[in-house]
Amino acid sequence: MSTVTTKPGLAQRLAALTKIVELGPGRLEPKLLAEASTLLNRAGERLKLSSEHTVVALAGGTGSGKSSLFNALSGLELSPTGVRRPTTARTHACVWGLEGAAPLLDWLQVQWRHRFARASALDKGESQLHGLILLDLPDHDSIRALTDTEADRLIGQADLVVWVLDPQKYADASTHRRYVTELAGHEAVTVFALNQADLLSTEELAELVIDLNDLLRREGVEHPSVVPTSAVTGRGVDSLKSVLAGAVSRRRSAIQKLEADLHRLEQRLAETMPVGEVLSAPSSVDEARRLGLTDALCDAVGVPAVGEAMENVYAERSMRWVGWPYSRWVAKLRPDPLRSLHLEDVSDEIHGITTSSVSAQTAETVNAVQALADGLSAGMHPVWRTSVHHAARSRSAQLPKALTEDLAEVAPRLDRVPGWWWLLKVWQYVLVAAFVLGLAWLAVGVFFPGRAPLGIQLLGDTAALPWVGLMMASVLGLGALSGIASRNFVELGASRERERLEREMRRRVAAIAETMVVEPVERELGRHHAFYTAMNNLAR
Amino acid sequence: MNTAKDDGRQESPGEQTLSFRPITEEDVVPPDDAPDDRARQPAPEERPAPVEPLPRRKPTSRKPASTSAAASKTPSSASDGPDENHRPAADLEPERKRPSLWERPPSPAEDHAPEPKRPSLWDTRSSPDEDGVPESESKRPSLWDTRSAPDEDRVPEPEPKRPSLWDTRSAPDEDRVPGADESSSDAERPSLWEARESAPVEEQDESSPDEEPEAEPKRPSLWDTRPSSDEEPAAAEDEPSEQERPSLWERKASTGEGAEHGRKTPPGQDERHGSGADEESGARTPHTPAGEKTGQGAALPAEAAKTLMTALDTLRASVAELRFGLDLPGADEARQARADLLAQLQDYVLPRVRTNTAPALIVIAGSTGAGKSTLVNSLAEKNVSRTGVRRPTTGIPVLACHPDDHKWFAEGELLSGLRRIDKASPEAGPDTLIVVPTEKLPQGVALLDTPDIDSVVEKHHAIAQRMLDAADLWIFVTTAARYADAPAWNLLRLAKERGARLAIVLSRVQPKAREVVLKHFVRMLTEYGLGDIDRFVIGETDVTDGRLPDHEVTDLRLWLAELSVDEDRRALAVRETLNGVLDSFRTRVPALARQMESQVNFRGELRTDVEAAYLSALTEIDKAFRNGSLIHGEVLARWQDFVGSGDLMRTIQLRKRGRSARQAPERIMAFRAALRAGLESVIVIGASRAAEEVVARWRRRSPLGAALGAELDRPSDDLVRHASRAIAAWQEHVTDLVRTEGVAKRSVSKLVSFDADSLSLIFMVAMFTGGAAEGVPHRLVNALLGAESLRGIGTKALSDLRARIGMLFDEESMRYVQALDSAGIPDESMATRLYQATYNLEVAR
Repeated sequence: MSTVTTKPGLAQRLAALTKIVELGPGRLEPKLLAEASTLLNRAGERLKLSSEHTVVALAGGTGSGKSSLFNALSGLELSPTGVRRPTTARTHACVWGLEGAAPLLDWLQVQWRHRFARASALDKGESQLHGLILLDLPDHDSIRALTDTEADRLIGQADLVVWVLDPQKYADASTHRRYVTELAGHEAVTVFALNQADLLSTEELAELVIDLNDLLRREGVEHPSVVPTSAVTGRGVDSLKSVLAGAVSRRRSAIQKLEADLHRLEQRLAETMPVGEVLSAPSSVDEARRLGLTDALCDAVGVPAVGEAMENVYAERSMRWVGWPYSRWVAKLRPDPLRSLHLEDVSDEIHGITTSSVSAQTAETVNAVQALADGLSAGMHPVWRTSVHHAARSRSAQLPKALTEDLAEVAPRLDRVPGWWWLLKVWQYVLVAAFVLGLAWLAVGVFFPGRAPLGIQLLGDTAALPWVGLMMASVLGLGALSGIASRNFVELGASRERERLEREMRRRVAAIAETMVVEPVERELGRHHAFYTAMNNLAR
Repeated sequence: MNTAKDDGRQESPGEQTLSFRPITEEDVVPPDDAPDDRARQPAPEERPAPVEPLPRRKPTSRKPASTSAAASKTPSSASDGPDENHRPAADLEPERKRPSLWERPPSPAEDHAPEPKRPSLWDTRSSPDEDGVPESESKRPSLWDTRSAPDEDRVPEPEPKRPSLWDTRSAPDEDRVPGADESSSDAERPSLWEARESAPVEEQDESSPDEEPEAEPKRPSLWDTRPSSDEEPAAAEDEPSEQERPSLWERKASTGEGAEHGRKTPPGQDERHGSGADEESGARTPHTPAGEKTGQGAALPAEAAKTLMTALDTLRASVAELRFGLDLPGADEARQARADLLAQLQDYVLPRVRTNTAPALIVIAGSTGAGKSTLVNSLAEKNVSRTGVRRPTTGIPVLACHPDDHKWFAEGELLSGLRRIDKASPEAGPDTLIVVPTEKLPQGVALLDTPDIDSVVEKHHAIAQRMLDAADLWIFVTTAARYADAPAWNLLRLAKERGARLAIVLSRVQPKAREVVLKHFVRMLTEYGLGDIDRFVIGETDVTDGRLPDHEVTDLRLWLAELSVDEDRRALAVRETLNGVLDSFRTRVPALARQMESQVNFRGELRTDVEAAYLSALTEIDKAFRNGSLIHGEVLARWQDFVGSGDLMRTIQLRKRGRSARQAPERIMAFRAALRAGLESVIVIGASRAAEEVVARWRRRSPLGAALGAELDRPSDDLVRHASRAIAAWQEHVTDLVRTEGVAKRSVSKLVSFDADSLSLIFMVAMFTGGAAEGVPHRLVNALLGAESLRGIGTKALSDLRARIGMLFDEESMRYVQALDSAGIPDESMATRLYQATYNLEVAR
């Protein structure tokens, strides 16, 4: 037993088929997938077994003379023939050249008692048949065959199938619809023996052969090899033998059969999942799409809005610290509408908000993920489209929570008070104090001229009063100016803070998107790519 | 006789049987049959026992109650005695005694039995009924005489209806047909007649292949041919022709008698008995020899024919209206079945009923290469049909008939769908029929050579099928090489199912193999229940000029001649096949109706899926509205912005002379937009989930569902646009509501003014925050608007939003409905009409 020297193509194609079978579940029709894995198993098993032997099956309807032809070919009455229909219920096998044939026959599940051997070389001029395993199959079209799939199975397993037809049944639907129409591409491993030729006159036979050829061509068998035989008179048996001898000596039938089967399967696969343009579909998530996803997720979290809110709230709150106190005090004098509604605590509550809450909105995150999957799977086969969507959504249940939790860590605190606010506040109160002092001075100067407190002449100096007034005005102006300026500083700082915050949030969103969305999607895209690459390789 | 006791007994029938069986069975039953018999307990009629007393004993041993029922009916001995005493006695009684006890009395009992007797009968019978349905089946044979027995199966009428036989009779009729009811009231002595009539008809309603033997024991006993009734079941099974004949003859006599009795019954009804009986023999024993009931078989009285025609026309119309739009599993078959049915009605049944004196059409069918054309040529002694080695040879059916019959076939309605031509021409289309007259064929029979049933040219199968559907008799041709082919047996099974008159020709038999092949073939036929069919064997001989040597077809020719001469027999054969076909409608039409129903159901299911999916999406959305999940993300941030930046405070102003509250709108706009976007995405997600859900459900239902939903697994492209429009409109609406209805709290409005736009936003946040009304927005709106009007606005706003989303979803789900509609809308009343038509047909027969 030597290992088969397969054409390099076959091994590769089988490998491609293996890949397809591996990736197929859930994506290919179960039936097709089952066929593919059956073929894969069969190929593996057949290639492991003797390549020195060629399994030739005689198949056909009941009464076509399979057993008679089997006997005629083997030259012995090995398989019982009869007039009762159906006659053969179990497969008979005749082996030319026993060595290594037993495992093959085991694989074919031919019963021991139905195995026969020809000591090949010793036989008259039959050395060219050495390596032939001839099978006489049960019929496939009788009422018995309805419950017996042996013929069906062996027609699949045999390396070369000889269809035994007869003048009565050669156009039966049971043969043609079920088998012959599946034979396109199998020309090299299919022979049609038109048996019982002795029942016809020469002209009739010629007409029939032409008719049969036409019929087969119509069904896609491009170059049918039709051999008229007669098991009774022995006519044509020799030419059938030589056809078989040719196949046996080439030792290629097994591989040709597998190739033809692969071809057939590949065509059917291509029908359900045409390769076409699909290979140009993205195999990874490109930068633009990642950015798009991050943007969409940021929107779902409301990153820009969080930033803006922070900025505005800071600006508002800073006024308490850095605003010109007098204007604040003036504002406070105005009646509060909330107070009149007995809702004072509302404003307290509003001021009591210490952190801005960041949370992702579920619906929008789902939308974002969906959009990504839509973009990626456009043009894909529906099955793959679905699986890409599933992959994208595989963790979308956790996504909003993950986003919320992760971003909450960087959520800005709204009650943060930077040190320079203190400084500014002190400065403001210094100004306020200065203003008050000035006011006092003015009052003393105006109402108690000359009666200044001890030791401070200056206070009593009325001449200084205008200067004091000037100074007070400038303190007021300075206060207002510093209020405006510090507000600007606050806003500047807040917007810088906001930028930093947004950057940080985006970074975190992108990281989460990468692990929770992009990675599963890319895995699926990789599978998609591998599948279609395998399809391509299979077709080669 | 009390029911309680009966019930008690019923509970342990097995034990009883066990205890009594050995004795009785060893006496009379062949040991083979005993276990068999018991195994079949649920439906003992499946096969009538071969031995005479068995059919009666079955019920006795198994059904104590029915025994007593029967026993009580017999006027002899202990009918009134305690039941328990009586039954064991009856069981143990030697069998040969039973017949007399059993059979003699019932007929007088039935005809003249005084009313007082009935109650007892009734009492005993009622208990098995109450006990369970399966029992009633096995009870039947013994209860035939009681008339009501067959009804029990079908009409689950409450027992009180049956106290007297007279009631029994009318009760089922009332249930079934007004027509029958009238006729029964017309009848003077209706009891026997009615019982007889309703029994077969109802039996047929159960129409299944196994009805066959069931009818055998029943029918004879209904007529007053008691003795023969026992033979018949046996005969039907084992030796049909010889043994059956006498009984049939007797039956015939009884018919005549019956007809005399029932003189007063209207002709239509009278005829129905005839046809009923006739059809029985046709359906159940296709091999029943000819000779009986010729008059009725051949010439249907005008009125009955008319009723039948009407019923058939209705049926045809109903079937013609059928459309199977959805490609469910079985739909193709149903379409095919519908076409077949229609063709058969038009080609065959209607013409046949209209003119039943027409010559018999014998269709020759079989495998390709079996020699059908050769056979026709040989019988016609003329090359009417081309023969050859090419397979398949015959593509166009060829009809050969006597010149006298030519007109009928050339112009008649039979196979009216086919265009007649004189000889084969290449341009002849598929719907053609070659009609060739030949004097060599006897009058009154025509041979139709058909295309094959099994070649690679599949349209031939359809043509052959159509021809067979129109056949009065089938000749099935097979060969020594083919007789085990699966297609051949499929055809034979069909013939058997249809109850068609059948003859089999086994041709191309090698002389030396003749014995073996024939024996084997006959054995196969017998196993198939066709062992007694007329068979002809033709040897493998040289075919010259497309014909067989004359001696090979002598038998067949004789058979034809016999048919030709014996008009009665021919008419009977014709009638049998017709009845077989009409019988087949009982299953075929309901099968169509069932397909129709399944289409309707399927459509209903798919629609339910759509509704359920969108409903659950709506529920989800509703949940999102309530649990605050909407106030997340941007909406939340914008809210904080709005609140924290002091805009909220600025919204509310103290009312001062003419000062209107106006502030920077951009934050409010952004907030509003965020809210809209949030709502929108909730809706879009809901819709796309629903879309996926629908498609997934459809896919799970069937491949057809997957195909229908192929492009619909996403929400429609317009959805986003429509949704944002709807929400914008809703926001407007809420603002309006706040503005117009929110001014209720006067104490507030005196003090403060507020901006309706902003307030409506606050209100929406309050609405979607859900949970306890604790938060800022709640308190604000509560304080500003007042709890009362807040509640009002809240309800209105929410229901308005729901309505808008509902409309959006309606639009979405319409796409699925349209997809469904585009696949065809099954008419829901169709199935009912079909059932009705079938039923009417049964009545009309």
